Amino acid sequence: MSTDAFRRTGLLVRHNAVLRLRDPAQLISYIALPMVLMLVLKPLYEEALDGGTLQAVTGPLVMFSVFALSIVGNSILVEREWRTWDRLRASRAGRVELLLGKTGPVLVLLLLQQAVLFTFGCLVVGLPLPRPSAVGYLALAVGIWGLTLLAVGAALATVVRSRGELSVASDLGAIMVSALGGALVPVSLMPGWAQHIAPISPGYWAMSMLRAAVDSDPAGMLRPALVCLGIALVAGGLASWRLARGWGRSRLM
Amino acid sequence: MTQGRDADVSTIKAQPVGSPTRDQDREWTSLEAIEVTKRYGDVAALAGFSLTVARGEIVGLVGHNGAGKTTFVEVVSGLIRPDSGVVLIDGRPPAQARGQIGISPQHIALYPPITVREHLRLFGGIAGLRRQALRTEIDDLATGLHLTGFLDRPAGVLSGGQQRRTQAAVALIHRPSLLLLDEPTAGADPETRQALLNVVKQRAGEGAAIIYTTHYLNELTDLQATIAVARRGRIIARGSSAELLEGLPGEVRVAFADEVVQVSTTDPTTALVELLKGTDRQVESVELRRPDLDDLYHSLAVTDVD
Repeated sequence: MSTDAFRRTGLLVRHNAVLRLRDPAQLISYIALPMVLMLVLKPLYEEALDGGTLQAVTGPLVMFSVFALSIVGNSILVEREWRTWDRLRASRAGRVELLLGKTGPVLVLLLLQQAVLFTFGCLVVGLPLPRPSAVGYLALAVGIWGLTLLAVGAALATVVRSRGELSVASDLGAIMVSALGGALVPVSLMPGWAQHIAPISPGYWAMSMLRAAVDSDPAGMLRPALVCLGIALVAGGLASWRLARGWGRSRLM
Repeated sequence: MTQGRDADVSTIKAQPVGSPTRDQDREWTSLEAIEVTKRYGDVAALAGFSLTVARGEIVGLVGHNGAGKTTFVEVVSGLIRPDSGVVLIDGRPPAQARGQIGISPQHIALYPPITVREHLRLFGGIAGLRRQALRTEIDDLATGLHLTGFLDRPAGVLSGGQQRRTQAAVALIHRPSLLLLDEPTAGADPETRQALLNVVKQRAGEGAAIIYTTHYLNELTDLQATIAVARRGRIIARGSSAELLEGLPGEVRVAFADEVVQVSTTDPTTALVELLKGTDRQVESVELRRPDLDDLYHSLAVTDVD
């Protein structure tokens, strides 16, 4: 990347960070609400499960990280609503610069959300502090899950036709993905048919990956990480293609 | 009439469709579009659209809604790819010339939460302007477009006219060599309109090539623009307003005491003489109206709406 391209990307990252920070309500609620849920659910899970504290932390974390899809979606959708994306596409900034500028700050927010929730889980909810060897795995798992969410959210934002559609897709999707993936009730306690179809949910793989990371189990992380990365690759490819191409007048909102 | 006046465009040494190459020996005009086509399903938005714009020239692009004006602007700015034809900006395809283009889209395209100054810093910075140069350009545009009083207000709280001026400023901030202004004064008040026209004239005087689409034909007179009339995805006439008005009928209206006579004619003076010759009727008033750009617009474009 040339110096000019690097500079333009920096400008776009800063610009998009400013846009996000001037509309922080969603992020704040998606950090505060899971904290409350962790505290409320902790006694229940500890009573019902071995390792209940881990479920009390990772469940709300995964569920609300999926809710954060709407943060990703909104950050792209507003460019369509404001008709500003084409303005950027007509500028000197290249496709890669535009995509990095758009997604970089949102990815940081997703990672920040998960990092804050994990820290809260350890310091307040009572999740044992991870061994030093697990910290790296946790960072990797959070990073992979953040990328997956970013890609899926971006893909969603490029295909929906309105803010209402995005809202329905991200809310319903979040509940389905997190419930089916074992974020609300552990997969082992779900009915047989639900256990059977749980692996179709990205949330199932996120939960598996995060648990393996907490246990410093790289072998256990591998398969879920690959599944998440595969989802990220497909969704990210679709989103990149749509964003680089624009929507044209037929898709203006 | 000037049907096919843009036929001289065809004398340009056309490159093979879709694979333009640079000819170092040639002095390129700022914009050359040759036989550009673009279809959306069954609709031909552009059907052999050809247009050249020289440095320092303002071309007023007029035509009814759906004539292809905005699609052409989108093709030139590189936002959409044509199905066929050649578009060259200073000899380069749009994708390689984006830094030279300034575009003010038809619809307001601003970020409501960020200020006018932040818009100008962002787009000026992307175009490569640094500190002092950027500050100078912002100050110049703020003065020229009367933005000074609200530079630090978010775009979302500005009035329609202020947003229009901000939108134009974003297009102008990097002093592009090709300006694409798509109905830049739509819905704007007279003050906004005049401020913008002044800046457009100034930029043309400095050598920028400008495409200015509008439905306000008096603006093109003010800009002393070359006029290109688009219809059904093609340019059907091009020339100065005097050239294009030549041959269009004017009107003679004579109010006699007992009757009003109105004649549409290409030679209103002779018609008036004929009407008055040998009459002993009392004449109460005489009106002689020469054709203007509105007549041209109606004769070439509006009447063609299916």
